[in-house]
Amino acid sequence: MSGVRAMGRWAGAACLRARSVFPAVISAPRAVIPAKAETQSPSRSGAGVRYLRHWMTGHSSVESPAFAGMTAWGWWAGVACLWFVGILIAATPGIATAATQDATHQAAPRHSAAAHVVIGSKNFTEAVILGEIGAGLAREQGLDVEHKRQLGGTRILWRALENGQIDAYAEYTGTLAEELLQVPGADNAALREALAERGLAMTDSLGFDNTYALGMREARAAALGIATLSDLRAHPQLKLGLSNEFMQRADGWPGLRDAYGLPQKPDGLDHDLAYRALATGAIDATDLYSTDAEIPYYGLRVLDDDRHYFPSYEAVYLYRADLAQRVPAWVDALRGMAGRIDAATMQRLNAQVKLEHRSEADVAADWLGVDAPDTRGRASRIWQRTREHLALVGISLGLALLLALPLGIFAARRPRLGQGVLSLTGLLQTLPSLAVFVFMIPLFGIGAKPAIAALFLYSLLPVVRNTHAGLTGIPLELRETAAAIGLPPRTRLWRIELPLALRTILAGIKTAAVINVGTATLGALIGAGGYGQPILAGIRLDDIGLILEGAVPAAVLALVVQGVFEAVERMLTPRGLRIAARA
Amino acid sequence: MFELRQVSKRYGRALALDALDLSIAAGRTTALIGPSGAGKSSVLRMLVGLEWPDSGEVRFDREPLRREALLEQRRRIGYVIQEGGLFPHLTAAGNAALLARTLGWDRARIDARLRELATLCRLPFEALSRFPAELSGGQRQRVGLIRALMLDPKVLLLDEPLGALDPIVRHELQAQMRELFDTLDKTVVLVTHDVAEAAWLGDMLVLLRGGRVLQQGSARELLEAPADPFVREFMTAQRSVEESA
Repeated sequence: MSGVRAMGRWAGAACLRARSVFPAVISAPRAVIPAKAETQSPSRSGAGVRYLRHWMTGHSSVESPAFAGMTAWGWWAGVACLWFVGILIAATPGIATAATQDATHQAAPRHSAAAHVVIGSKNFTEAVILGEIGAGLAREQGLDVEHKRQLGGTRILWRALENGQIDAYAEYTGTLAEELLQVPGADNAALREALAERGLAMTDSLGFDNTYALGMREARAAALGIATLSDLRAHPQLKLGLSNEFMQRADGWPGLRDAYGLPQKPDGLDHDLAYRALATGAIDATDLYSTDAEIPYYGLRVLDDDRHYFPSYEAVYLYRADLAQRVPAWVDALRGMAGRIDAATMQRLNAQVKLEHRSEADVAADWLGVDAPDTRGRASRIWQRTREHLALVGISLGLALLLALPLGIFAARRPRLGQGVLSLTGLLQTLPSLAVFVFMIPLFGIGAKPAIAALFLYSLLPVVRNTHAGLTGIPLELRETAAAIGLPPRTRLWRIELPLALRTILAGIKTAAVINVGTATLGALIGAGGYGQPILAGIRLDDIGLILEGAVPAAVLALVVQGVFEAVERMLTPRGLRIAARA
Repeated sequence: MFELRQVSKRYGRALALDALDLSIAAGRTTALIGPSGAGKSSVLRMLVGLEWPDSGEVRFDREPLRREALLEQRRRIGYVIQEGGLFPHLTAAGNAALLARTLGWDRARIDARLRELATLCRLPFEALSRFPAELSGGQRQRVGLIRALMLDPKVLLLDEPLGALDPIVRHELQAQMRELFDTLDKTVVLVTHDVAEAAWLGDMLVLLRGGRVLQQGSARELLEAPADPFVREFMTAQRSVEESA
């Protein structure tokens, strides 16, 4: 358990810092990569197993021993049947929708006539609150709104907006200029123009600028008479404790020091500790974001950037230009938010979520003065996540088997080409999983599809490799005998080689399922839902309870899957082989 | 039945068969004998297309062995290896009926044929529903024979068929196999390293050494008119209990 707690703390700290104002952090500067939760695979097999048992007992009678050993026909029909059933179940409308549906817990009233709109949010608290506010506004207009919350990064949201998979999300002008449009220093008019070329638009500033800043305790700042960054120059004795990232970035402390001619020698420290160090007086100032929830909580004064060193990060809603025709009322409402949320308000809302542990939807609804959308009970949420997770794993693994088994057989039959196949699938395995998820977005958009595609690729290697190993590991004299007694190649494969390799192949499928279930938690970053959703939210909010809401069912699922796979293995392993293993 | 003409085969640097000529008569039992590495198994494996000559030709039933026709040719040959070469995941009956089933025989026909062969090979019929791991070595050997005889092939190839059996079972099976071969009137080719077994079962012995045929003839001929000192040495190399005790 301490591991989970440590992960939460680490990730919580990372969340605070990861919202870097600087554009350089790969493609998703405001994203957090969550720690992967180790889980195991599901398998849906009840019907398949029953069918199999029927098959395997059906022909075994002493009266006709000719058929007693003939159940191999059944095993493979059974294996195929097992996964086919899995895919069928996964693909039934309810679950498929569940898998692609957003991850919010809201049960929006679905008027059949109401227009359907989708709002997205990045993976940190402020963005999710702004997303909920935007969703609340849509609900007020009687729209059927879906909130795809805490998607894995700026790029993911930007692409989804460009492709029309989401209609709007909250963004910062600094990120827009520096990173998305790549027109550093552009003013808002230039930004609007560049957006218009892409069929996009933005509102005016919502009223706050979430940029990097330095903060001091109010009392200390007042005592020294410090209100601006320039004022720091006169106090070289001040102890600055800065986050390690801020210390090291050229556009962090070094740039700030040069711009203001600051004389202090700062220490690097963990950002979480910085607030506590400020509170105890161990340090005098630290770097922060101007809307951090901790600012009012610890009574901090944000020093004014009087030389405008930090770029401006005004919060705005980005939306698709066609929205003005489709749902003009919502666009008006989003625009109406301009100037409504000042930094103090945003700090307060952030604090309500982060420090008071209220849900973003509640906080947003309170602030808007509307009723919060219905939230589901924990059991219902977990069931929803379970269905999503099962769908991700079941569909991707099922599809992978359709390709991987033939590939493995091919690799065993053609050793030279087979090496190529094995290397290629091995190469796929080395790609960082988050990167693969993001690569899939241009092809499949956001949601369950790209996640399934990525998981599909990850499932190939273990199955291909074990199929190959299982087939090539069959004793030579048995393979030769099968040929020498005149069995045609197809019969040799289905009746002799595959049954003899069955255990190894099943072990490969089990490995694939395990990898698959663990990796599927990352799907939450691209809107695929599943157990990653509460884990992601829990990490973001430093909320162990939420993390466990994803991690515990995942662990339970892992045990169930382990059991199911072992039962399947026992059931499918030919009795003759089990006896042989004992003998 | 089989003709090998100038057949050579190398494994890497080692020469397994050296321009070997051999003719195997139909309807008789031929035993291939010789020291280890003489090429006995290579010859047998070539007859069923598990090996192909680097040069030379193998003819079966007057036709050359061809890869395209191999499946059909193999079905006219029964093949048995040590311990029967049974597939462990299938019952004895499953093993024996595998090919027949593939060829679309119906259940009644398979059952009838199995009963007939079980009697012939002196295997209790119930034993056919057991898995190989549940059978004794001798029973496995009998199942191997039943499988080989299932389609009533003209030819039986046996590679060290009794190699792994204890002496008593081996002795009993040798007797029964001779009886069986006499009844069936098939062309039988067997590989063994046991000269007495070869003499007991074989009408014709082929003594191989270094990938060549040293002498071919009845056991008596090999004993009484050895073509080479090695033939005499080989034929009399086995120690009897009498002289050892």
